[in-house]
Amino acid sequence: MRKGMSHSARSAMFAPLGQVGRAEAVAARLVDAITLGLLADQEQLPSEADLAAQFGVSTVTVREALVALRQQGLVETRRGRSGGSFVRAPAHPPPDAWRARLAEVSLSDLRDVGDHYLAIAGAAAKLAAERSSPEDVARLRLATDDLRTAHGIDFTRAERQFHLEVAAAAQSPRLTHEEVHLQSELGGLLWLPLGSATHACEEHAAITAAISEADGELARKLTEEHLLGALDRLADVHLGLLTP
Amino acid sequence: MNDTRTLAGDEVVEQVSALVEGVFERLKPLLAAAESVLADAPAAAALHRIRPQVTEALGGLIIGAGFVSAPNVLTDSEFGFEWWAAGSPPTQLFISLDPASENFLDYTRQSWFTVPRDTGRRHINGPYVDYLCTDEYTLTFTIPVSLGGSFAGVVGADVYVREFERAVRPRLRSLGSGAALLNAQGRVIVSNSVRQPTGSLVREADVPAWWSAGAEPGPGLRRCGDSPIVLTL
Repeated sequence: MRKGMSHSARSAMFAPLGQVGRAEAVAARLVDAITLGLLADQEQLPSEADLAAQFGVSTVTVREALVALRQQGLVETRRGRSGGSFVRAPAHPPPDAWRARLAEVSLSDLRDVGDHYLAIAGAAAKLAAERSSPEDVARLRLATDDLRTAHGIDFTRAERQFHLEVAAAAQSPRLTHEEVHLQSELGGLLWLPLGSATHACEEHAAITAAISEADGELARKLTEEHLLGALDRLADVHLGLLTP
Repeated sequence: MNDTRTLAGDEVVEQVSALVEGVFERLKPLLAAAESVLADAPAAAALHRIRPQVTEALGGLIIGAGFVSAPNVLTDSEFGFEWWAAGSPPTQLFISLDPASENFLDYTRQSWFTVPRDTGRRHINGPYVDYLCTDEYTLTFTIPVSLGGSFAGVVGADVYVREFERAVRPRLRSLGSGAALLNAQGRVIVSNSVRQPTGSLVREADVPAWWSAGAEPGPGLRRCGDSPIVLTL
């Protein structure tokens, strides 16, 4: 029998915050952020009140989550005037930590979150094609180039930056918010460096070209295919991890 | 100038021009403070000294203001960012300045930074989705800051597009349905028509070409004073 906490914390990654233990979900997000390096070692966390506001939960819930993190040694609390909660990044994050999490994901949840992401990123690409100025396209080209030789965390960052730029080029604050939200909800899983950077870079270049030519339908189609490719690779790794 | 004839749109052109000059005017004390602090101590640790001028610039249409350094200008940090959002009290904005962090977003690619750097002139960026600071649809006004004659960064002010729209809407409405204010790329800032909404690009007139040819008043296009904003009728 698996330990209850870690199992639900893992599946929490793909569930809306309302549906599982809220403190566990907040803790899971923070664990992701720390183990993925989104929060740096020694970085001070926002105050309990700020965290509560950001997650949309009570301060009591945040406090509970911080207790869990403290027990895992990922956060330490200092007292006094310059006190607060500080990140303690694991000295040697296990290189396969992502794969361990991926093993816990269900394919039905992966499909559902994938559908949502496709709807948002596809619509953003179509609008970006209608609304991008040469300046926007130049920024997309720079973001495309970032991926050319990227690996590891740089690959993840370049993927996220590119899709963020597309959403911004759509001139839509709401789609941009959704893009950021989905990226953080997926906790870096979607853009794990599983595929070839060269191939991903070619796909970004093709999406950028479609946007530059104001071909909204093509930009949407290519974006959807790009995302489906990433989801396929995730599903493959997931299934591989389940094979005894 | 005692010509009593008024061209359609004069009032809008004058209002937009006054509004733009008003925002840039409020950045001048901040510009002076940034240049003097940098000349004295080009360090991220010294940037807090411009806070009085930053908070002084906030208010009215200006919902965010501050200074952003060019890379490798400061002695103690590759990047520098001292930016505050309006409120009582104002709150400081923090962004990741560590290029190794997954959250790092390279602001040196943003037009509010590159245009003043490359032209040496002030700039109005947007409308654009400011995912770095306001998270909102924004116009960002920036002025280049220099240190020893070289580009050292920008001081700037953020204005929400919806507030800009609110300010100019009454006069713009009186011009009828084809009227719109565009940026130099031909992107609609405010218009009277849902067919040509905010954020869309006007494709009938080649605004970028007209702009780089000198922006002389022509059929349907008029520059609003010394600003990079165009009235189209």
